[in-house]
This record gives sequence, C-alpha cells and structure tokens, in this order.
Amino acid sequence: MAVGTGILRVPKEAKKGEIVKVQMVITHPMEPGTRKDPQTGQLIPAYHLTKLEVFFNDKTVSVIDMGGGVSANPFIGLTLKVEESGIVKISYEDNKGGKWEKTAEIRVV
Amino acid sequence: MDRRRFLVLSVLGVASLTFVPGLMRTSLAASKLEEDIQKRLGVSLSQIKESADVKLQAPTIAESGANVPVSVESDIPVEKVDSIWIFVDNNPSPWITDVKLTPMNGKVYFATRIKMGQTSNVRAILKLKDGSYLMATKEVKVTVGGCG
Repeated sequence: MAVGTGILRVPKEAKKGEIVKVQMVITHPMEPGTRKDPQTGQLIPAYHLTKLEVFFNDKTVSVIDMGGGVSANPFIGLTLKVEESGIVKISYEDNKGGKWEKTAEIRVV
Repeated sequence: MDRRRFLVLSVLGVASLTFVPGLMRTSLAASKLEEDIQKRLGVSLSQIKESADVKLQAPTIAESGANVPVSVESDIPVEKVDSIWIFVDNNPSPWITDVKLTPMNGKVYFATRIKMGQTSNVRAILKLKDGSYLMATKEVKVTVGGCG
C-alpha cells in the first residue's frame, strides 16, 4: 500500500451519549532517522508522521504528536463521545510534507 | 619528575580512564530521559508522582521491540486531563508520543504500538489541567530490539 494510506474504523451506529472507540492504522515506514542501512552503513534519513488530528463534525477531538518511536504502520486507538450523528475526520502529516485525510460516518440511532 | 610521583600519576591516569567513561555512560543514559521530560513537559522527573489512577497496559515480555502494544487508561474525568505522554527510558529518543485530549473524548484512553531498542521502563504520564502530573511505569523485557 502506498505511504499515507489510512484505515479509519468507527462503529456505523451509536446511541446518543455513547463512548465509542475510534481506531486507525496508517501505512507509513516511520523511519526514526537513527537507523543505519546494514549494507552501506549510511544513516537512513528520518521519515515519519509528526502530527495526527482527530475531528468530529469539524470540532477538534484530539491532537497527537509523534516521532520515530511509534511503530511502522502506526495503530492508534482513541475514544469519542457521540452526542449527534456526524463525520469523524482524521488528518495527518509527515516530516517530508505529506498530508492526508480520511473520514468515516457515525449515525446516532 | 621522580619515580614516586610518576607512579602515582600513572595509577591515577589509568584509574580515571577505566572508571570515568563507565560513570559518564550511566549518567548520560539516566539524564536523557530526564532531559527529554524537562524539555517537553517543563518539570523534572522527580516532581512527577506515581499514581494507581493511571493504568498502563503493556506486555511483560515483548518478542519484537519493533511492535510493542501499549495502552493508557484512567478513571479520572477527561475534563480534568490535558494530555497523555508516553516515554521509554532506554530508547535513543525517550519521547514517543503525546496526545491532547478534549471533553469530546468522553474518557481517558489512548492505545498505540511503540518501538523499543532494549529492555526498559515504559512510562505513561498524565498532564492534568491543574498543572500536576501523574505517572505509571511498567518494565517491558525485549528479546529482539526494534531500533536498528
């Protein structure tokens, strides 16, 4: 999968006021910049996500800062209190200027 | 220089060569975490108290250091919490990640997977809105490191 591809998983339906899990996996090598290439002995340049923001109906839910210490293809799990139907949006960027977005919908029943 | 002074000096020289680097290495490793915490949180590690209110889940033994699942949870109301921080003592860069929470999160919860170079303590630090900090520590044994 291409770098930056994200999977965002939320329940399709929730009760009003329910606390649901928001889980995501993003395809990214997360090179910390401290590793050496075993063949050439050269440092592998840093290439990792730096920031991930979670929105619900365009209101900020969480802001996550990260570095090369997070595993490759990072998984992140959070909670969200659902008071109304709406769109969960994650937007994330890496240290080389890559920027991506992903959305998912939750319906209050 | 007479023989006695020469002997004394050489003994001192050898002693300093053998002992000092060892001392420096341990103090550097300890202060790397403290430095990182001081820089990012603005408090020293000794000011942060351990608390049973912070629940840190991590494996006791991790087969691969490249992928260690950790989760942080707390029953403290999310309205009182500003952010969650994760540090690994013995990593080349101890700071892993930090998460700003809002009341919309509903509760204090954060899960991710981290890299660990070697066996080390994992620390989860909760920054509360009143400016205080709470911490949970767990040792994770790593059989194969994930930082190189």
